Amino acid sequence: MKTIAEVVARHNVVVCAGSGGVGKTTTAAALAVHGALQGRRTMVLTIDPARRLADALGLRALGNEAHVVPLPGPGSLEAMMLDQKGAWDALVEHYAPSADVCQRILANRFYQHLSESFAGSQEYMAIEQLAELQASGRYDLIVVDTPPTRHALDFLDAPKRIAAFLDRGVIRWFIKPYFSAGWTTLRVVNRAAGSLLRRLEEATGVTALVEISDFFNSMSGLFDGFEQRVKSVDKLLRARSTAFVLVATPEAQVLDEAEEFGRNLAELTIPLRAMVFNRVHHEAATDLRRLDEEWLRGLVAGAVRGRERAGRLVDNFLRYEMQARGDHLRMEAFRRQLPGRPAVAMVPNFEEDLHDVAGLRRMLPHLLAA
Amino acid sequence: MNLDQLFTRRLLVVAGKGGVGKTTVACALALEAARRGRSVLLCEVDGVARAPQLLEAERGALGQAVAARPNISLMAIEGKAALAEYLTMIIPVKRLLQAVFKSQLYHYFVAAAPGLKELMTIGKIWYEAERVDDSGARRWDHVIVDAPATGHGLQYLRMPAAARDAFEVGLVHREATRLVELLTDPARTAINLVTTAEEMPVNETVTMYRALREDLHMPTGLLFVNRLHDGGLAAADVERLTAAAERSRDDTERRLLRAVAARAREEIAWTALNTRHRARLAGAIDMPIIDLPFLFAEEFGFAELRTLAERMAAARTSAPVQRAGRK
Repeated sequence: MKTIAEVVARHNVVVCAGSGGVGKTTTAAALAVHGALQGRRTMVLTIDPARRLADALGLRALGNEAHVVPLPGPGSLEAMMLDQKGAWDALVEHYAPSADVCQRILANRFYQHLSESFAGSQEYMAIEQLAELQASGRYDLIVVDTPPTRHALDFLDAPKRIAAFLDRGVIRWFIKPYFSAGWTTLRVVNRAAGSLLRRLEEATGVTALVEISDFFNSMSGLFDGFEQRVKSVDKLLRARSTAFVLVATPEAQVLDEAEEFGRNLAELTIPLRAMVFNRVHHEAATDLRRLDEEWLRGLVAGAVRGRERAGRLVDNFLRYEMQARGDHLRMEAFRRQLPGRPAVAMVPNFEEDLHDVAGLRRMLPHLLAA
Repeated sequence: MNLDQLFTRRLLVVAGKGGVGKTTVACALALEAARRGRSVLLCEVDGVARAPQLLEAERGALGQAVAARPNISLMAIEGKAALAEYLTMIIPVKRLLQAVFKSQLYHYFVAAAPGLKELMTIGKIWYEAERVDDSGARRWDHVIVDAPATGHGLQYLRMPAAARDAFEVGLVHREATRLVELLTDPARTAINLVTTAEEMPVNETVTMYRALREDLHMPTGLLFVNRLHDGGLAAADVERLTAAAERSRDDTERRLLRAVAARAREEIAWTALNTRHRARLAGAIDMPIIDLPFLFAEEFGFAELRTLAERMAAARTSAPVQRAGRK
């Protein structure tokens, strides 16, 4: 697959990954607009807490529900933003065996903290949501925007980590003896654990532990078949119909992070299908080492009739040339170390934020070109 | 507030959206403090440490201060390592401690307990900020914290208050209370924001500012507006260049004149965009602004960082639009 257009055309799920602030959300939105314009029933799912996609699609508020984005043509575009807290609640409501258990969990203070701040929960809920959208059969193409790559592995590992967290064996070991047999049993079972819990109890006050215990007690049995679900979600991420697209800018620090993400993918034997460089400066117009600067200053001074203004114009030009040269050297070096042969796109540095569908369409020719 | 006043505070948090140059600004702030003869600990939280590269310094082990430049030490902080260090302090029995670290339960607990890593990270920062040496003198004049990007950064700042409220008594409650006291103390702490003058970064910065003021009640410091374009170019000159390019019969001349015009147009557009969003920022955020230029470079390195620190020191803070409600 040589172009990103081909990559999008041949996959049902496109996952956009990258550091914060590289235009990942905008890229995901643009790819979704493209899919819809190609006649596919398209969904773009963002989990970015800053609600940038809402801005990019000109929508005021994205909720946990799908919003239809008006587009001309045969396809359709819907956008959805994951509300993490709401998604956890929905999951509990879905799996709870009775209304009573459901209420007890939702009211639990430990649960409330967990659903708001448990690391990886955001990532997991995105994947869970993705699986649900995929299973609904309502979409031909789902484009997913992900949290920043500082937490790259968090995203891919999220299903496994959540499964480990909710593992019933662990829960029983961790908390149940505290209720069922008391501290003595626990101490016999595991000396170190007993000491640690005793220490924790002294440290935290009993009330918190009781809440945690209660939480685990309510949760155990709740996620029967959860492991199965985690497996199917993990399978979706590794499916042949799923494509990973890495988004970066030509900045050195961003590329370092992108390189790490590429390595992570390779370790997980997930192929990288495409690479998007955003905010690329134009190609350098000159070889600066060969340019006769004085001659250029004279030329420009003649054109604008003023040496001082000409000086500023040429200085500006030379600064941009230098920046462009750096960008391209770094991108070349980065491309050389990329495993596999992903499609590569370079999107120029737009002087205006792309915040509506018309803006996203302006981005497409660059994004889709070979 | 200006830089002089900022440097009366011990804990200087640098927060902002990803990709706006937060680490760069934190490093420049550290250089400026060091230039003033203050001893600085620059902490990077959770993730790839970038300061060592920018300051051309060695990378240290997690939680270890490493001397980077005169008056500047660096430290990478990560919650799990900080928790281990903390437990080493409160559990003096070495054998017991090793048993704890070895137990799988401990690792599950660390992975699972919500907010624990964030809490320990802030705890470690508190420890460094309050640290004194044997003679009773402060170990660091300033602890500068390069915080994680907006969303995650707020999660860190929120955690002490959440822990204090969740645990009504006991050690965690007492420790969390001390952290909240430090973070909300305008005599010791300032939360600084970094942004670029572009639409989405400004939106996020405004959101973060409101959360800091209204929910967290934390004292704010300076607002650094980074990567401002201002080539001081005139649109009329772009027209003249374009006209001259059309007249020219020489291919090289025409190509170069067009390229010079194109780059001038780009710079003018960026300047206009920056001006517009900077005005929006100044209207929505009641914090003194320090303007920092976009620094063109083939490779952004220590020389550029030093230039940025110099520009920071030379910048005059512009007073906020309205001063009502300032703490």
